[in-house]
Amino acid sequence: MAIEIRRAAVIGAGTMGSGIAAQLANAGIPVLLLDVVPSGATERTVLAAGALARMRTQQPPPFMSAEAMALVTPGNVEDDLDGLAEVDWIIEAVFEDPAVKTPLYHKLDAARKPGSIITSNTSTIPLQALITGQSDAFARDFAITHFFNPPRYMRLLELVSGPQTRPDVTAALHAFGDERLGKGVVVCKDTPGFIANRIGTFFMYCAMHEALKHGLSVEETDAVCGKPMGLPKTGIFGLTDLVGLDLMPHIMKSFHATLPAGDAFRALPMSFAPMDALIAAGNTGRKSKGGGFTRLVPDAAGGRRKEVIDLATGTYRAERVPQLASLAAARGKNALKTLVGFDDRGGRFAASLLAQGLSYAASLVPEIADRVSAVDSAMRLGYGWSFGPFELIDQLGAANFAALLTAHGIAIPSLVAQNKPFYRADANGVEELLPNGEYAPVPRSAGVLSLADVKRRGSPVMKNGSASVWDIGDGVLCLEFTSKMNTLDRDTLAIIRQIITQIGDGSGTYRALVVYNDGENFSVGANLGPALFSLNIAMWDTVLQGTVDGQNTYAALQHAPFPVVVAPAGMTLGGGAEITLHADAVQAAAESYIGLVETGVGIIPGWGGCKEMLLRHVGPVQSDAAKSMTAVGHVFQTIATAKISTSAADARALGFLRATDGITMNRARLLADAKAKVLSLVAGYTPPAPRTTTLSGARGKGILMAGVASMAAAGKVTAHDQVVAEQLATVLTGGDTDGVTPLDEGALLTLERTHFMHLAHTPGSLARIEHMLATGKPLRN
Amino acid sequence: MPTYKAPLDDMKFVLNDVIDYSRLTALPGYADFDSETAISVLEGAAQFCEEVLQPINQSGDAEGCRIDNGAVTTPSGFKPAYHQYVESGWPALSADTEFGGQGFPQTLRFAVEEMICASNLSFGMFPGLSHGAYHALLVHGADALKATWLPKLVTGEWAGTMCLTEAQCGTDLGLLTTKAVPRDDGSYALTGNKIFISAGDHDLTSNIVHLVLARLPDAPPGIKGISLFIVPKFLLNADGSPGADNAVRCVSIEHKMGIKASPTCVIAFDNSIGWLVGEHNKGMRGMFTMMNAARLAVGMQGLGLSEVAYQNAVSYAKDRLQGRSLTGVKNPAGPADPLIVHPDVRRSLMTMRAFNEGARALSLWVGTHIDLHEKHPDPAVRKDADDFVALMTPIVKAYFTDMGFESTNLALQIYGGHGYIREYGMEQFVRDARIAQIYEGANGIQALDLVGRKLPAEGGRLLRFFFHPLSERLERTTRDPSLKEFAEPLAAAFARLQQATQYIALRSLANPDEAGAASTDYLRMFGLVALGDMWLRMAEVAMAKLPTANGDRAFFDAKVKTARFFMTKMLPEIHGLFARIMAGSGPVMALEAAGF
Repeated sequence: MAIEIRRAAVIGAGTMGSGIAAQLANAGIPVLLLDVVPSGATERTVLAAGALARMRTQQPPPFMSAEAMALVTPGNVEDDLDGLAEVDWIIEAVFEDPAVKTPLYHKLDAARKPGSIITSNTSTIPLQALITGQSDAFARDFAITHFFNPPRYMRLLELVSGPQTRPDVTAALHAFGDERLGKGVVVCKDTPGFIANRIGTFFMYCAMHEALKHGLSVEETDAVCGKPMGLPKTGIFGLTDLVGLDLMPHIMKSFHATLPAGDAFRALPMSFAPMDALIAAGNTGRKSKGGGFTRLVPDAAGGRRKEVIDLATGTYRAERVPQLASLAAARGKNALKTLVGFDDRGGRFAASLLAQGLSYAASLVPEIADRVSAVDSAMRLGYGWSFGPFELIDQLGAANFAALLTAHGIAIPSLVAQNKPFYRADANGVEELLPNGEYAPVPRSAGVLSLADVKRRGSPVMKNGSASVWDIGDGVLCLEFTSKMNTLDRDTLAIIRQIITQIGDGSGTYRALVVYNDGENFSVGANLGPALFSLNIAMWDTVLQGTVDGQNTYAALQHAPFPVVVAPAGMTLGGGAEITLHADAVQAAAESYIGLVETGVGIIPGWGGCKEMLLRHVGPVQSDAAKSMTAVGHVFQTIATAKISTSAADARALGFLRATDGITMNRARLLADAKAKVLSLVAGYTPPAPRTTTLSGARGKGILMAGVASMAAAGKVTAHDQVVAEQLATVLTGGDTDGVTPLDEGALLTLERTHFMHLAHTPGSLARIEHMLATGKPLRN
Repeated sequence: MPTYKAPLDDMKFVLNDVIDYSRLTALPGYADFDSETAISVLEGAAQFCEEVLQPINQSGDAEGCRIDNGAVTTPSGFKPAYHQYVESGWPALSADTEFGGQGFPQTLRFAVEEMICASNLSFGMFPGLSHGAYHALLVHGADALKATWLPKLVTGEWAGTMCLTEAQCGTDLGLLTTKAVPRDDGSYALTGNKIFISAGDHDLTSNIVHLVLARLPDAPPGIKGISLFIVPKFLLNADGSPGADNAVRCVSIEHKMGIKASPTCVIAFDNSIGWLVGEHNKGMRGMFTMMNAARLAVGMQGLGLSEVAYQNAVSYAKDRLQGRSLTGVKNPAGPADPLIVHPDVRRSLMTMRAFNEGARALSLWVGTHIDLHEKHPDPAVRKDADDFVALMTPIVKAYFTDMGFESTNLALQIYGGHGYIREYGMEQFVRDARIAQIYEGANGIQALDLVGRKLPAEGGRLLRFFFHPLSERLERTTRDPSLKEFAEPLAAAFARLQQATQYIALRSLANPDEAGAASTDYLRMFGLVALGDMWLRMAEVAMAKLPTANGDRAFFDAKVKTARFFMTKMLPEIHGLFARIMAGSGPVMALEAAGF
């Protein structure tokens, strides 16, 4: 029988341990968080309790909800070991020193429930070293689960088993990590640094040295590594600042000590002079006041501006926009090829870095992992690279890459010498190159439905400039937004209307709809650009028509005779939140940031968002006026302050999701879960009946606006906030309703669009829209 | 010989009754320039233009400029006229008081420019380019440079130029190759050849201040590597007087179609010493400062020539007796009726007149926004005003100069064969008008600027300052029974302009050629609607004044009738333009290049 993990304990309440505990709690698991009793401490669990307190205010938040926070119980390893007898999984995340871990393991082994799983979050110590001197039972129940910082947000979990590890332990950790913790689990071999840190650290050191050698500035280095190579915006030096400069020499030392002689890593210089100077000055990165390679200093305008270390002189100077010809040239499909072939500092840097970094990665398969796909996954999920090293080599072409290595005097790894693409895709899926020269399908976890696979298999059922519709099997269609940042526009609305016609009464080929896409963000809302343009040229009717179209289309989808499940993930804002509100059911990724943020651009939700929030929260009859007013107040506050949920669980608390809506921890499983959910609704489906609500009119508006007035008096809302709030309050209290007559959906929609248009005419709202489009940030006018 | 009488009555009407000039006097620094003062300035300018500049226009064209040993001589009479111009203080009219200017509102400069261009376009080139150089230096120059060079540019003692074009680059300035090498003392040594430099050399002033675009040794390629320099013809002595020769040579002057009294020079710099204006590699900013001002000024050239051509055509049409009216004899005492009885002649005259008066109002309306931009205490108002000017600049430049050419041709046509010969001066107006469509950004470039840059900028923000006020005015006036006849055709045209604007914005996202193919038609459409806006405003004023008018009754009556002509006979052109725009780029681009 499979091992079930119902309760867990984390030993070590540092950054990693407390973060892992939080993520376990986010998965609904009660967690015991233990640390040592500091010498002389009066409060014996001060470390774990302190970590919990810190996590309450930490940004980004480690916990997804208040409920999750309550699941973590702080304790210490002297008084609270008894509790370990209750837990199914103990995760050790203490200082990286076998001298600390070994005695702790003896203690844990004695206190734990027989057969319970025990893992270490070590990033550097081999598994074999950790089980040395431990009981056989311990060795059988032991594995390494290596999380990345911050554990809630970084999607990689490296899983290392030893020869003694029970297969069911490995299987349970794999399944739990994937399905419950939402991680991309990559199975690694027991080698130093496993996959991501081994390659990642090598790459970072290499990049720093090459930058200095080729005379690249910090900004230039990060820019060259950014867009064209696909490294995250943090950049090489930014990541070092984040990790902490003082940690880097330790990591380096550890690799030098544990890697075999002849490993390319050991040929790298042990230190990096500009970094040593910074460490010596106490500038160890973001955690230190002085900053690291970059720092923020107060500017004349009262804000802060960025300064950057000049690598050559070691002094700070104002940040500069990189101006390299190679950067300007490296765009589009062949960006990487163009970059490495470009004869300037940027191009030569990139060529040298990629030659070393990618050949190192290629030399490590099968030493650190059996599959190149495991290496690529680890770098994508753990370091946030857009492409793994083998995907990068494919972009250059194996032959070109081999030539590049020869030019740099680097031996060609046998994998590269095969001179074949590492990946090939056809209608049946994606295959990867094996060390023996054959191809095999890229492994995919059971139960995962990939939209990318669906797309490879065929063409869309419908398609226009902003959306595509795919057949995902069993009579289910999937609506995918395809516009930039998945904004919604009239093409999106048009395709929804086409879908309604196509599915009809559900008795034909198709019977249900899932709204889902693979994007990092489900949708940032309606595309404001065309609306602003129309407003600027005084085409008021065009904008009104856009609002009517959105309202009618979403209402038609809601009342269509087939079930609709919306599956948001990431930013789900404005019109994206509104389509979520209109769904029969929602299956949300745990990391869903849902919000009706229209007031930030000076308008109010105009595609039925106000209507849905009212109908959902206030309900049909006003039996209890006070309760009803509280509900209206909640909706008003949520919309007026443009609240965005910090997670799917938080969206439930805010009322964007219902208790019946589902949450999927692993983003990769979202589509499969959404499809299962919509299929469960097919049998006997009846669309929701038309609803009404009763609102209190002018009296209620007075109450809401009194609140706004007191906020204004306290200087908490701006002049235009008040203008927007008043229109919103009018809508949410039913306009000039008599307070008795029920308002139907049509009446609410009329109110919504009337006051939407009123705001769209105001210069203050135009200024907000304009500012948002120009800067991506709301204007506070 | 042609004559010219400055349209002072119409200018007064526009200032006082249409664009509400008096509100400018509330701006900081403008308190002294009330409407009476403004009008007395215009009267002075009118007199100068009519009595000094206009009489040497035709002779200047006939004589042209000369070059001897690298020195350019202007035609007879230009030098004394220029000295009189300087002595009367005209160059300093709207210049900054800090540098010796009189600080008048820019709005008035527009009116004065119109008069100068109408009376002697070639002459106007000299102070016009000086003003461009002055303006770029004022906005972008360091304090020391400004203190050295501005005062004498302001008085007109020295003249200025804009040295942009090179043999291999006109529109595409990214290709320019003139080099600027830093010298130890912070100055630069410039080497290279510039062509088409208006007023590049002449005998009117004791020094010439060239503003030159050039490339620093380490500059990136393209327009991001261009810097702006000030390079004088003569370096200055310690006392600030012109001294050593700075190796700036006029190699030759062009033989050209018109503006013959304005020398168009090839200028060679040979290690000539210059100073950086603004920042390294940011020369295009200074270039645009000069260019935008220059584009508006060129627009005024179109208007000025159209006005003078119209005035002479009216005289000729009244004097010249040919044929009889279709509806019966109008001049029984004479052997024939005057030309003006003929509807087709009237059509030409009304077209010129409606353009002139509408364009005059629009130019002064744009002018007030320059003043708002420069002087208003609220930065939001300043920005909005600047956006409006940015939007209208390509329209004023291209639409006014296209109409300037059309008008001068219409006027020439009324003269028949007498228009084609030199004696009557009509063909000179046509020839002079032609260049305005070309320089300071050819009109095709203006159209691209409008659709490619001004339309999409900041989500269409610039458009707001044209569309919103007009939308409101139309909403009001279409409901007013006395204004309906003017407002309704304009409302229809406005709706078409909105649709075309939306169409271009949407279609050009997918295919930039759509914007390109529509651009010229769209700019003209925009120009017509903008003039329509002015005519609606003028009609509203005239309709309100007519019932109580006495001495000015004929003036307001003519306004109403011209407004009616514009709305019914000129504005409908937009419907054809609209149809052309909506036909898209397909028919334009279908025949592949090889097929030509």
